[in-house]
Amino acid sequence: MQKTTFPAVVATFVVSFAFWVLLTWSFTVQELIVGAVVSLGVALFSARFFIHEKAFWLFNPAKLLNGLFYWVCIFPVELVKANVDMAKRCFGGCKKINPGIVKVPVDLKSDYGQAALANSITLTPGTITMDITEEEGQTYYYIHWIDVTAPSGKEAGDAIKGTLEKGLRRVWE
Amino acid sequence: MTALRIVIDVLIGISAIFALAGTIGILKMPDTFSRMQASTCIPTLGTICALLGALLYAIFFKNGDAGSAVKIGVICLLILVTNPLGSHAIAKGAYKAGVRPEKKMEVDDLGRDLYD
Repeated sequence: MQKTTFPAVVATFVVSFAFWVLLTWSFTVQELIVGAVVSLGVALFSARFFIHEKAFWLFNPAKLLNGLFYWVCIFPVELVKANVDMAKRCFGGCKKINPGIVKVPVDLKSDYGQAALANSITLTPGTITMDITEEEGQTYYYIHWIDVTAPSGKEAGDAIKGTLEKGLRRVWE
Repeated sequence: MTALRIVIDVLIGISAIFALAGTIGILKMPDTFSRMQASTCIPTLGTICALLGALLYAIFFKNGDAGSAVKIGVICLLILVTNPLGSHAIAKGAYKAGVRPEKKMEVDDLGRDLYD
């Protein structure tokens, strides 16, 4: 288990406090003080589970902007494309499917990057990340794919997550 | 204002269409994993379009009700963060418990590498 470090506590505190403010959305002094105390308690106990790498990566403006660009421009476009495709299959009587589980190499190194990519893949209809393994330094995802058009390997990886991975690499590396 | 109202109604209509698509998929797809794939339509575009409509309504028709608008944003964020976690867990758990489609899958690397 990791040790609780001071930067990790600060980062967790900022996130918890922002979440408190969003949930209550009142700016009286009393509420803010209670929120700060509660956030500090939460940060002390959970910082070591929440922060695994550099604590302040999100406070770097360039990466923050890249992240915003990813979650506002790149990801929704892919989401809508996949949704329309899936809706067509469903209204067409669910006949045109060809499911299978492919194994796909992933080049992201950071834990957060891998988690974000796996969640993005799962959120787009048509692909679900089922498992993740590491073999000889290379990370692989097992992905259930509703319409297999390419065998396992790099080609399938580009078809499933090419754009997403390019966007995420700018955020985490 | 009328134009905005039309935009809100169209957003909620789109969400209804995608939710219907997901429901048809859940009922008619042939096996467990394909059903899960179809059901992903519901929490993504189905819910998010409805929430976007509600967000616009809260901002422009409720005299800028910031509290409601922010809470709708938080709901949207929480759905986007928690939904894939559940999907991973259910898919992997079902596969581990021995659920397999009736018609054999074309490629099945997970079974080849880990379980069979």
